[in-house]
Amino acid sequence: MISNDPLISRKQELPLKDNTTSLFLKVIISIAIFLFAVTLAGVLSINSMLNAWNNSILGSLTVQIMPINNANHDLALKQTLEQQNITVEFLKKLPEVEHVSVLSDEQLEKLLKPWLGDGIDISNLPTPRLIDVKIKKNTEINYTKLAEKLSEISPFASLDNHKLWLDKLIKFADGLKILALTILFLVIAITSGAIFYTTQSNLGLHHNIIEILHIMGAKDTYVAQQYARRDAWLGFIGGCIGLFFAIPTIFLIARLAEQIEGGIISEAHLSPFSWMLILALPLFSSGASMLTAYYTVKRTLEKMM
Amino acid sequence: MLLQNELKNEQAIIDMKNVGIRYEQGPEVLSDINVSLKRASFHFLTGKSGAGKTSLLSMMYLAQKPSRGSLNVFGKNVNFTNRDSLALLRRRIGVVFQDFRLIDHLSAFDNVALPLRVCGMSEREVKKRVKELLQWVELDKHMLDKTSTLSGGEKQRIAIARAVINRPDILLADEPTGNVDSDIAVKLMKLFIELNKLGTTVVIATHSEKLVNDFQYPRLHLQNGGLKLFMPREKLIKGARLYD
Repeated sequence: MISNDPLISRKQELPLKDNTTSLFLKVIISIAIFLFAVTLAGVLSINSMLNAWNNSILGSLTVQIMPINNANHDLALKQTLEQQNITVEFLKKLPEVEHVSVLSDEQLEKLLKPWLGDGIDISNLPTPRLIDVKIKKNTEINYTKLAEKLSEISPFASLDNHKLWLDKLIKFADGLKILALTILFLVIAITSGAIFYTTQSNLGLHHNIIEILHIMGAKDTYVAQQYARRDAWLGFIGGCIGLFFAIPTIFLIARLAEQIEGGIISEAHLSPFSWMLILALPLFSSGASMLTAYYTVKRTLEKMM
Repeated sequence: MLLQNELKNEQAIIDMKNVGIRYEQGPEVLSDINVSLKRASFHFLTGKSGAGKTSLLSMMYLAQKPSRGSLNVFGKNVNFTNRDSLALLRRRIGVVFQDFRLIDHLSAFDNVALPLRVCGMSEREVKKRVKELLQWVELDKHMLDKTSTLSGGEKQRIAIARAVINRPDILLADEPTGNVDSDIAVKLMKLFIELNKLGTTVVIATHSEKLVNDFQYPRLHLQNGGLKLFMPREKLIKGARLYD
């Protein structure tokens, strides 16, 4: 077969494999891809978290019925429940509303558990009653008007559309996302810079061979392709090594995040598409390394010779 | 007079007018070179060491552009030719360097195959041509040896094989017979002459008076930065024209 023929199994004219530059680039790319993968996972998680929060803002709202103060505890409870029923009936009639449900005592106890601990009896406490309202998809609701109408229906009802407290969280998450994107940009810039400078110094090292190739009639692309092939391979191997260490790290961070109480961080999960993006990073690093090397060689040769 | 009129009608393959070359801010190594070499001509290039033979050859194989004047190769002014087009022109020129300039980590086969691979020739064709030529220069046994392990004479034959492998239109050789014994030297000269008969323009830079005398071809002689043409005594050979 042709490929087994020692004459035809040609060697590349430029001895680029197995030198210290290759090792250096492999290490740099591995570290870069490790950082890139972990940060990208962070960005994608924050995105999914923001989406989940936004959906919760757009899709639901909560109405609180404040407990009525009365020395007679049973009467107070009865009056509070009356106000709750009036409000529920009003909400059900609204065309934008898909579903109205009153949170049960068990659900309220569960919500208060992180603050008040186990074994609380909610009926003895002046806690507000909560009504969860699901809004129909693709409908907009005027929260100000709704709040006004609610106060007319029941002076004890108040509207919480989650937006106020979520806005602060969203701003914080957005800030984190910008920070993560900056890190991604810096990782790309530093890696490209490393490839650029090592390629340039390597061109100087092999100046004599490149000159011979030029005299034989080689175009700059012929030389550039040899560097591009080498760096594409280094980018892929470096990417795989980086990913090998990044995946357990991502799982570890996710595990730690799950342990945070309140369920806010647990919204930050990675979708199958996000995992595909992360797993495709070696291909990305291979392509980026290849293009950086190719254009560095082309540009440098034009200036050099 | 007849010779000059004949030459006027034929397009020069290398044409230099008022060419000068200097390195950085130094003095001109070559000044006012006016020479026109036509297709299938054969010339020796002589001159003392440091006379500028290598500089003149390097302009001919397009490794450097003249500092002044115009240089046309295959009818194209190199000052106005882009890098890719220059590369295509270089593929039509074979060069033998005095110091061989082989790639040491490659085998003899890969070194000779270089000009063909640069052109994108199929590996099957490369194999066929290179084997044939290496057999001809009697180096087929060293085909897979790295050139760093070969003797000076063997390296020179590899360098010559590399220069002629793609049947160039111009062959420029710097002391091509300097490191080989007389039998091989005669054989190599016969190869150059055969190539010349097939239409290759040949320029051989040499210090050897014997070589110049044994083979009666015109001589381009470099002296004091200028170029003079000496025609052989015994034969009238079509060749170069020096401008006044």
